[in-house]
Amino acid sequence: MVDAARPAVAFRTPRFGEGAAAWLLSLPAVAAYLLLLLIPTLAVAALSFTDFELGLPGARFVGFENYAELLRDRGFAKSVGNTLVFVGLVAPASIAAGLGLALLIEAGARGRTFFRAIFFLPVVSMIVAMATAWQYLLHPTIGPVNAALRALGLGTPNWFGSSDWVLTSLGFISIWENAGFNMVLIMAGLTAIPRELYAAAEIDGAKSAWARFRLVTWPLLGPTMVFVTIITTIRSIRTFDTVATLTQGGPNKASELIVYTIYQEGFTFLRMGYAAAMTVVFLAAVLALMLIQTRLVERRVHYG
Amino acid sequence: MAGIEAKDVSKRFGDVQALKGVSLAVAPGEFVSLVGPSGCGKTTLMRSIAGLETPDSGTIAIGGGDVGGLRAADRDVAMVFQSYALYPHLTARQNMAVPLVMRRLDAWRRLPLIGDLLPGTRAAKAEIAAEVARTAELLGIEKLLERKPGQLSGGQRQRVALGRAIVRHPRVFLLDEPLSNLDAGLRVQTRKEIVELHRRVGASTVYVTHDQTEAMTMSDRVAVMMAGEILQIGSPRDVYLDPRDLRVAAFVGSPKINAFAAEAGADGLVRVAGTPTGVAVAIQGALTFAARPEDIAPNAHDGIPARVEHVEFLGEAVLLHARVAGATEAVVARMDARRAGTFERGQSIRLRPDPARALLFDAAGKRIVARAVPLGLKEIALG
Ligand SMILES: Nc1ncnc2c1ncn2[C@@H]1O[C@H](COP(=O)(O)OP(=O)(O)OP(=O)(O)O)[C@@H](O)[C@H]1O
Ligand SMILES: [Mg+2]
Repeated sequence: MVDAARPAVAFRTPRFGEGAAAWLLSLPAVAAYLLLLLIPTLAVAALSFTDFELGLPGARFVGFENYAELLRDRGFAKSVGNTLVFVGLVAPASIAAGLGLALLIEAGARGRTFFRAIFFLPVVSMIVAMATAWQYLLHPTIGPVNAALRALGLGTPNWFGSSDWVLTSLGFISIWENAGFNMVLIMAGLTAIPRELYAAAEIDGAKSAWARFRLVTWPLLGPTMVFVTIITTIRSIRTFDTVATLTQGGPNKASELIVYTIYQEGFTFLRMGYAAAMTVVFLAAVLALMLIQTRLVERRVHYG
Repeated sequence: MAGIEAKDVSKRFGDVQALKGVSLAVAPGEFVSLVGPSGCGKTTLMRSIAGLETPDSGTIAIGGGDVGGLRAADRDVAMVFQSYALYPHLTARQNMAVPLVMRRLDAWRRLPLIGDLLPGTRAAKAEIAAEVARTAELLGIEKLLERKPGQLSGGQRQRVALGRAIVRHPRVFLLDEPLSNLDAGLRVQTRKEIVELHRRVGASTVYVTHDQTEAMTMSDRVAVMMAGEILQIGSPRDVYLDPRDLRVAAFVGSPKINAFAAEAGADGLVRVAGTPTGVAVAIQGALTFAARPEDIAPNAHDGIPARVEHVEFLGEAVLLHARVAGATEAVVARMDARRAGTFERGQSIRLRPDPARALLFDAAGKRIVARAVPLGLKEIALG
């Protein structure tokens, strides 16, 4: 204890001001931020103004040419559109599913740990490995899902093969994966709600589960839900592994999501400068989205 | 008005027996305090009456009707929680309105926007607002109504919690240590206000506290609880002057009652440390002789030998702490400051309890009848 306290005393001497101590203490975090985040981001931004191609020597400064090309690129527009549809499907559904699961498990008398583990499984298992299982489950001819549909006399879509269904199929896998993650976050939020508030609600006449949810659970879960919404939006925007393993963006670019497009541009067609421009636009869009979300929600959420 | 009657209520949590067959009857309009050390089951009894806890056995009736089958929302009780349990996201005004909104507006009418379009919603809401305003005025918190609990001090929160409880005129009030988070000054003031409020509202009240001064000053009757049992229920005067159990005598009163290990001889005369006390009992053998600090006085000639440990000057009174040889706890004597002599640390004195006021308890701690007998001259000489 005494030894640990000594340097702190030393920092407080006038020779070594408090400001210097503060900088020294935050140095590791600042360094990590610079090295791992800011510098790579700036490098990408710089790259986006060049025509750098992987494997070719030298790069030329091309100004905003890459960005101008982006505006004209129909493939990029398609990919952005797909991503919007995908996020619009996955984020709300997986948040709702996570909330539903968390409430059900909390309300249940037994098996809490068991169900929590079951639904968290998709998060800890490698999605690339799991994709294979999904490929089998949703196989148009030998898959059990279509077998069941056939038995019920319903249509049997070609889940990954038809451009009408492919986004929905990938979306479903993402929902399955994100719901478990959200469930764990929301369960943590639920345990932070004081039990006495439910007792007070009961005494105050909130008889139905719905009334107690509206009066206590939902408002007190507010900060958690803000976080869950942001994290889920980011996670679904970034979806890449299922596209790469299951559909490669096909059929006919119907499942091209933005990160996969960037990857293709940079690592298949090796046009790093162009891919960098996409990345910058992507980052700016995500950042703007986050700002809007927090602004909108912050005003209506009670913290603390 | 409605009374409360709990009969043989037992409740067990795992291997903790929180309530061991507790019976408590509160007359309509009565103010009863539950006192006892921490963990003795006060909150559990309260929650059982409210319907938040289901007793393992026993019955609870409110206003003469059994409420065993009713859930908390239907029992028409109001409770102020130890932690106040205010809704942190609602303003004081909204907090106080909750019990009325929940009872008077159905789920549809509580919906934002849509609810207001349904017939009757506006009128009901206006009435609720008026009642909340009236209650706020009664408690003197009109200026705080737009603040959220996080922006209120402990005392103000406590008032809002009280407001939320009284706003709907419940049959029964349950207050669980509502003053425990307040500072000493505010506590004394709020104590008076709660009594006033009870007089005005008139509903039967159970008031939990582990502060005996609070219990003594506020209540019609005090129930002393220990280890899941109610040891005694009676007026503050009764539990102080006429305790039925040594634990009650020891819990009520500050400084604590002085208890001496004593022995009753074949003649029934009680002796402490071999010194006759001038008290006789009907039994023989080991017992406890107890006397309140104000019933013990130092004496030059006779009494129990002791050594002065220290002296506390309280203004109107002086507390003399002395130790009897072999005893673990010091004896405290309370004297009128103007008449007390001077004492020095380490000085040998003799303490003489007033035999007419001494309380005697058998080996099991139950009170036994004692009578004062004049001490013969011979006995004094021997002592
Ligand atoms: N939900 C519970 N689960 C397990 N044990 C409990 C529970 N509630 C109370 N107990 C136990 O029951 C006993 C009585 O608790 P209770 O809260 O009624 O005490 P109390 O008299 O209100 O104490 P305090 O003055 O500290 O508030 C304690 O031993 C406590 O640990
Ligand atoms: Mg308690």
